[in-house]
Amino acid sequence: MAKVIFQVDNNMYSNRTTIKIGGESGQGINTVGRMLNQALNRLGFFTFANREYPSLIKGGVASYQVDIADKKIYASAKKNNILCTLSEKSFHTYIYDLLENAIVIHDGKDVELSPDEEIFVQKNNIQIIYLDSVKIALEAGGIEIMANVVLLGYIWKILKLDVNILIEEVLELLEGKKIDIEAEKACVLAGYNHPSYRDTLGQDITLPSPSLSRKLLMSGNEALALGALSAGMRAFYGYPMTPATSIYKFIGETANETKVVVKQAENEITAVQMALGSMYMGTRALTATSGGGFDLMIESISCAGMSETPLVIVLAQRIGPGTGVPTWTGSGDIYTAVRAGHGDFPRCVISISDIDSAFTLTQKAFNIADKYQLPVIILTEKQIAEAIYSTENLPNIEKIEREISKGENRYQTTDSGISPRWIPTKGLKPYLHTSDEHTQEGYSTDIAQQVKEMSDKRERKLETLKTEIPEPQYFGNQDTEIIFVGSGSTKNAVLDAQAAGQNIAYLSYEYVYPLKTDKLLKLANENRRLILIENNQTGQLGKVIKEECGYEFKEKLLKYDGRPFFIDDILDYLNK
Amino acid sequence: MALDIKEYNTTVQPTWCAGCGNFAIHVALKKSLIELNISPSETFISFDIGCNGNGADTVGTYGFKGLHGRSIALATGAHLANRKFTVFADIGDGGCFHEGVDHLINAIKSNYDMTILIHNNQNFALTTGQATVTTPKGKKMYAQPHGSPERNLDIDNFILNLHPTFFAKAYSGDPIQLTEIIKEAVKHKGCSVINISQSCPTYNKEMTPQWFNENILKTNTITEYDNQSFDQAKELLNTANTTKKIYTGIIYQDTTIPTFYDNLESRKGILSELTEEVKEYNIKNLLKYTNS
Repeated sequence: MAKVIFQVDNNMYSNRTTIKIGGESGQGINTVGRMLNQALNRLGFFTFANREYPSLIKGGVASYQVDIADKKIYASAKKNNILCTLSEKSFHTYIYDLLENAIVIHDGKDVELSPDEEIFVQKNNIQIIYLDSVKIALEAGGIEIMANVVLLGYIWKILKLDVNILIEEVLELLEGKKIDIEAEKACVLAGYNHPSYRDTLGQDITLPSPSLSRKLLMSGNEALALGALSAGMRAFYGYPMTPATSIYKFIGETANETKVVVKQAENEITAVQMALGSMYMGTRALTATSGGGFDLMIESISCAGMSETPLVIVLAQRIGPGTGVPTWTGSGDIYTAVRAGHGDFPRCVISISDIDSAFTLTQKAFNIADKYQLPVIILTEKQIAEAIYSTENLPNIEKIEREISKGENRYQTTDSGISPRWIPTKGLKPYLHTSDEHTQEGYSTDIAQQVKEMSDKRERKLETLKTEIPEPQYFGNQDTEIIFVGSGSTKNAVLDAQAAGQNIAYLSYEYVYPLKTDKLLKLANENRRLILIENNQTGQLGKVIKEECGYEFKEKLLKYDGRPFFIDDILDYLNK
Repeated sequence: MALDIKEYNTTVQPTWCAGCGNFAIHVALKKSLIELNISPSETFISFDIGCNGNGADTVGTYGFKGLHGRSIALATGAHLANRKFTVFADIGDGGCFHEGVDHLINAIKSNYDMTILIHNNQNFALTTGQATVTTPKGKKMYAQPHGSPERNLDIDNFILNLHPTFFAKAYSGDPIQLTEIIKEAVKHKGCSVINISQSCPTYNKEMTPQWFNENILKTNTITEYDNQSFDQAKELLNTANTTKKIYTGIIYQDTTIPTFYDNLESRKGILSELTEEVKEYNIKNLLKYTNS
């Protein structure tokens, strides 16, 4: 085995503490991680939690990492202060991701370290504790499954936090389930008070003072679903595909409260066609999928473009073509979203980057779809979709804008390109939406002049839409020399590095198509150092920018191994 | 005031061949709506691509001419959005059994309250006569000078075995019976499927009106035929196969199965339609469900 060179820089972690729970899929690491995260937020800490897992139900190596800070953080750090492993394989997988003076709590028999691991552990003063959490649980009067809360209790002790808060949270999370409350409590305490604990553990972990105002915890997909519901979405049509599936889950599990219609369609083509049918009729419907499912929807996107039917699709990206690496992140479908579908037709592509933008931009997506009568694609990524963010509140709700009007001809030509559209209603003039090229009345045509006239009318909608779309948002000091340019989750790692004291800025493209480039070109003309940062192989946002304005990035930071950008990647790049 | 067929027409003239069964099918469709007193602005028709869909702009109801094979899927979305509308999916045998057979199966399974009209002319006619699943083996078709090498499938048994809640067969040459069947299909609360044998004088020359007249038997002439009985329906289709006859009429109906919408827990007791409910929604009460 090649010798691995490690450079651990604890400075950039001064503002946060990171804990990783590792194990096999199906071992309950999500339960431990979720309880830990909830309890920390109950105390008022801001956290960012991220799951890594393989595409299988049992086995493999999976993890749940919680980063703790005193202000909003939207990205994980790569290296950890505490690692809790439930399988030997996860021990070997994650051991090198530890900081100096880190602690490993291994649930199981002693692990045989490789010579490299031995050197690493020595050099970084890593302390390894072996626990038999099942045994501890049983001895405390609990049952096997309560081993989870034994581990939680132990971690809690290292964090030097109030055990009563943890107990309250554990009991609240288990509410409604058939549990033995006393045994659960006893198991938490058995972990918390375990004799193997010594004061030297976690000496250099200093948590920020908790604010005691409980934070909201939600995933990017949950925030997106909440945005859609806020915008009056009344139907969801889905077909399972990671990492879009949890949008369906949230909308489905809350349907009795929201009264929306939820339908698991037989495939993605049906899902998008149902959305088209519902949108034609005048309600708001949503469908969500990932790359492969999106490919199946593409003909329908072209149909929506031609027939001028509002449509909103979520494209939750993972890495790679084909089946790719199904449970890992990336943003390699930007170009697909921008170019999807045969023929020339206007569309809008929006990229979200966190829960706030997921909530707000999903509402805007519906407004744009309704107003401009075209398909809108919302891009998200596994890293945003499934990560758990904590926040004090969501942004204010957006006003619904639909521009429902009346007219004689459904496809009437106008200067703005936007034709009158009215909701199919008894007594109002019926109209045909059609994927055939058509006259202003909606009748099929192949007359050259009419074909061109209608095509021009649709294209004018794009020009009109462009007047409404904002320039990309700039984060950072105005005179900063180094500016990263990107979309989606890349923002979060750059802003993390910024918060850690780096004098860098980020230019955030939320509207990927059509997009604005005046601000970008102005910065380029000021001879600032513009670095394209993307979670894909070919710099797809860069290509869209180049097509729009001819600007070619000289520097590109591209990562396409399925992993998100960490603060470490940004600093490493700058140190190069 | 009685409705007039003119209200269901547009200024566009059909482009079908002389003698095409589509003329009669669309007349029967319009006539059934008039007799049920359903106006054009209360009707939604999802059209497929093909000769049937080429009549989309001759029908003055609300409509959507979408993609090949997808008219059923699109119609289901329209139906769920506003159940006050009478919803049809218009589709050919090619679109229905080749490009989009999954939609037929699942619409029957879900039992949406809508009507599927299958224009079965036994070929892809608009692209000038390619074989479909209903084209007899050996028949010379486009690009197949030695005849279609594949067997055809028994689509009637296929549909019936999915236990549709309403399944009828009809013939474009008998628009009076077809009108009555469409009326029953619309009145049926659930997914109604009508397989309409449609004359195609250009690409299905063998099946002339005379041929149809000699080979069609109506179910209502069979004494004691009970279309509520699945077993009798099976037997009828088996007899049709062995005797090489076509039975028209309501083959099977089951009124005991609830529709998809009626089964939705989330819509119990809700009287409004989804199209009436688009407004800002306060998500405050949903925040307790996050991080699930």
